[in-house]
Amino acid sequence: MRIEIKLTGNLYNEIVQDLARPHAFAAERLGFVFGRMGTLSDKGFAVLLNRYHSIPDSQYLEDLTVGARIGSEAITWAMQAIYYGRPTHEGIFLIHVHGHKGETGMSEVDSREQSKLIPGFQSVGRASAHGIIILSLNHGSSWVWLPTYKEPRRADCISVIGAPVGVFERREEK
Amino acid sequence: MSTDRYSRQSFLGSNSEELISRCTIGVVGLGGGGSHIVQQLAHIGFQRYILYDDDVVEESNLNRLIGAGTIDVLAGTQKLHIAKMRIYALQPKASVRGFACKWQENPEPLRECQIVLGCVDSYRAREELEIACRRYLMHYIDIGMDVHGKEQLSIGGQIILSSPGSLCMKCMGFLTDEKLAKEASDYGNAGPRPQVVWPNGVLASTAVGLAVDIVTDWTRSRRPYAYLVYDGNRATVKESPALRNITITTCPHFPESEVGDPVLIGL
Repeated sequence: MRIEIKLTGNLYNEIVQDLARPHAFAAERLGFVFGRMGTLSDKGFAVLLNRYHSIPDSQYLEDLTVGARIGSEAITWAMQAIYYGRPTHEGIFLIHVHGHKGETGMSEVDSREQSKLIPGFQSVGRASAHGIIILSLNHGSSWVWLPTYKEPRRADCISVIGAPVGVFERREEK
Repeated sequence: MSTDRYSRQSFLGSNSEELISRCTIGVVGLGGGGSHIVQQLAHIGFQRYILYDDDVVEESNLNRLIGAGTIDVLAGTQKLHIAKMRIYALQPKASVRGFACKWQENPEPLRECQIVLGCVDSYRAREELEIACRRYLMHYIDIGMDVHGKEQLSIGGQIILSSPGSLCMKCMGFLTDEKLAKEASDYGNAGPRPQVVWPNGVLASTAVGLAVDIVTDWTRSRRPYAYLVYDGNRATVKESPALRNITITTCPHFPESEVGDPVLIGL
């Protein structure tokens, strides 16, 4: 089953610029990006990202053990957004940047935190896809929890439909 | 991966071969325009194709259909087959997914494209293809030609780039409600449209140039949209004067939030 993430160049630039801003104490920034599912051939899915929410500085928690930690206020905001997006099956993806080039993967912290966060998103937006997107300086990877799935599936490709086009393909063994 | 094969196009960028090979490109309509386009895409090095055409080769196509011969008229060869053969002759390892139907009958494969080139005949068909490209986030490049006038004939045509998040064919003044309504009222009475090989070649080449620029960024122009008009009598391609009158920067017809299939929301 193929999973593709797509977003416009405008949205990609908005995300990258926001996540590159320094924070008073967090070493990196996080954001929420929204997307709707569409169907591809051979029972595949597209996740079409359509808007971004920058997490306010005040909603970060000081925690030196991780690059960034957001508090309950930010997570509650995301849960409410998913709730209001239910009629259009809008899901939510936590997004951040790893500061290197090439394909990137989930760190232990990413993996641990996502497994706590996603079930909450799924409980509110059951018919939507949720997940995590990690960008590098010239690539990106995503893990997608499809509706009712308990485990994520790695997206095969992230396409940035801008000028220039970006095609970030999953290269490692499936 | 790089070989002598692409040495003459190395100005496109040191990684252009990889960028081009990774892009999935759709071509809808494989007649006079589309047959030029697939051949050029294959020469350049595109490896992933989604193709649609439900037509077979007829005698009246032979004045412009690249790759078709008289035998194909006798055999009733599909235009899709002609296109596939042109691609495989140049790129034997290419992934070509071809559909001998209208794209609307099997739209899912098209959605995997990053760029779609539309070589369709009507305003309505262009509008439908642009809507699909907006909702599933794909660049749309449209080409078309016509012959106008009764006594002094003139060949005209257009090449349009419509990208998600930017101005659409209505914003650029190409698609209008009047044109769509007139076309609908003339349905069945328009007769065969004049088509010749050289304008199709100019339009297709310009469209392929836009696509290569979007993929490789070799000109650094990063144009968010384009509307170029072809004057076949003067043999020129220029930016459409219609663009001078545009005062908007955001497309009101396709809000960026409206992606995917439309859903009915209960009130």
